[in-house]
Amino acid sequence: MRSIREVVSEKPWVGWLLFLGTLVIVFFIGLLGASIVERRAETQYLFKASEEIKPFEPRNEVWGEVFPRQWETYEHTLDTSFATKYGGNATIDMLERYPNLVILWAGYAFAKGYNQGRGHLHAIEDVRNTLRTGSPQPATCWTCKSTDVPRMMNEIGVSDFYKAGWADMGPQIANSIGCADCHDPKTMNLTIFRPALVEAFNRQGKDIKAFSHQEMRSLVCAQCHVEYYFKGKDEKYLTFPWDDGISVESMEEYYDDVEHVDFVHHLSKTPVLKAQHPDWELSQFGIHAERGVTCADCHMPYRSEGGVKFTNHQIVSPLKYISSACQVCHRQDEETLLKNVYDRQDKIRQLTETAEGILVKAHIEAKTAWDNGATEDQMKEVMTLIRHAQWRWDFVAASHGASFHAPIESARILGTSIQKSEEARGKLAAILTTLSVKLPVQMPDLSTKEKAQNYLGFDMVEFSKQKEKFKEEEVPQWEKQTEEREKQL
Amino acid sequence: MRKVLQSLTPPPKWKVPVIISLGILIGFGLLIFRISNASSYLSDNPNACINCHVMTTQFASWQRSSHAKVATCNDCHVPHTNIIATYMFKASDGMRHATMFTFRMEPQVIQIKEAGSNVVQGNCLRCHGDQVHQTYLTKSINLEERDDGVGKYCWDCHRETPHGRVKSLSAYPHARVPQLEPVLPEWLEKFNSE
Repeated sequence: MRSIREVVSEKPWVGWLLFLGTLVIVFFIGLLGASIVERRAETQYLFKASEEIKPFEPRNEVWGEVFPRQWETYEHTLDTSFATKYGGNATIDMLERYPNLVILWAGYAFAKGYNQGRGHLHAIEDVRNTLRTGSPQPATCWTCKSTDVPRMMNEIGVSDFYKAGWADMGPQIANSIGCADCHDPKTMNLTIFRPALVEAFNRQGKDIKAFSHQEMRSLVCAQCHVEYYFKGKDEKYLTFPWDDGISVESMEEYYDDVEHVDFVHHLSKTPVLKAQHPDWELSQFGIHAERGVTCADCHMPYRSEGGVKFTNHQIVSPLKYISSACQVCHRQDEETLLKNVYDRQDKIRQLTETAEGILVKAHIEAKTAWDNGATEDQMKEVMTLIRHAQWRWDFVAASHGASFHAPIESARILGTSIQKSEEARGKLAAILTTLSVKLPVQMPDLSTKEKAQNYLGFDMVEFSKQKEKFKEEEVPQWEKQTEEREKQL
Repeated sequence: MRKVLQSLTPPPKWKVPVIISLGILIGFGLLIFRISNASSYLSDNPNACINCHVMTTQFASWQRSSHAKVATCNDCHVPHTNIIATYMFKASDGMRHATMFTFRMEPQVIQIKEAGSNVVQGNCLRCHGDQVHQTYLTKSINLEERDDGVGKYCWDCHRETPHGRVKSLSAYPHARVPQLEPVLPEWLEKFNSE
């Protein structure tokens, strides 16, 4: 065998090759070393806040500088590319998908426009853009949309905030839902910043401070993802109707007692209750909540990035992360778990659509009865039945994820809704017969959103024009004022 | 031996750079041995298994179980049939874990693989064989047989042993576990932080 010395003296490039080879090896060993040092350090700096965050700091980016992982994942709530069978974070025009909704909400702004909600960071933009806002509304509508709300409530007082006009608060409310809505700026502890939840618990004799950290992982969500109404004609005081309990019947009773009406139905003249989004309430009836699983456990699952474990702040359908959301407890494969979810959703959807179809018929038959001279007395019972049937249907339909959160309770509620609608229709049939109206009542073609809106005589072009004008004239002024105000922070 | 060494000796004008680069190479090697806590992997100390923190929840659930009094990670998760099998298994598992961690490929949900399951089953019987030897349960089974319904792993019934039924990130959200020792000796650490 010839020695390296001889080889190199004959062919000097072999020497250079060896040199370069060593260089590459040393380079990569160095990289490995650097990576180990870095990864050793990452766990050490996890909880060392680099800067102090001021109380009521509304700007999420400022918090984000101190908590980069949480902020980076929270920023992903801007994503709109994930659609599941019934939800996700992509915009879905619900009226287009389910045209019956237009009829059910005839007389309410929801019949103009209703989209599947996008991620939290879209809140301000979406509220400004929806066709449902712009008309004179109270500032109460802002309550759940922004980190500027606790700041303003602190400045001007809670009831004065609710009393203010929606547009008057426009320039103040600029930062979408974020850090300051759930976290104490000093300790980062989960904290309730919306008075309505605290007040509702107080009326029930519960102390919000007495709940454990695990329960708080749901209750911070329950600040907003709940059923609510605006109490008082002028006060517009945000109130949760939980005094008698959180079941659909207890809230129905509460609303009946206080004689609350969200809108009078254009067709059937029923004093309708519009369910908001009783997400937290309904989920409490599900098996997951019963076993102590919280909202954050599935919607913000823990995530490990090497040595660092943190909460994924991209609040989204757990179907986006089946692995970290479900498999931490359920060891079935992703396909099976997805099927389990869709099976439940499909079945509840089937019931929901049945309930919707019958309710639409009830409304139109009631309209026919009125048109043919039915009296208040004759219609009283029918209207109560329709009111309760619609409330119960809406309770499930409006509650995000109800079909998975609490499938059995959802099915039970929809069952009672269907029963009440059918009872109303039975009574209507009798009334219509006495009025000598030919049965069955002719149903209009409601197969698309446009057809349904035309049936109600909506001028959608006019609505959109008003909105465009608002976006072009008013919104830029708000933004300018916000910019100047925040410069001084 | 001498001949081999001689054939590897570089020409005179290359000697100095070769010595320096070899020094750097070996130095780096030693540094990595030190900072990666490599010697700990030769031991049976469970702390070695959470050097990188990925298995913190698995450590925490074991530490709070009754098995913590009598068995370490290696007692169950490494074969003890003979010393070669032990270290072969340790080395291949260790290399896989290190590669996954370095390239950030670790899954969010850690689940035991087939080879690991079979090893654990063998180790259950290694200690508890006497208790079950009069039943048909003494048979050491593998995943395929178990999926065919021929037998069961011990933990198919003893589901809580020893990590609890939820063996995941959610199981022990804020568990306190031992932290890594600093790389620098104490006096240098002090000097460094001043």
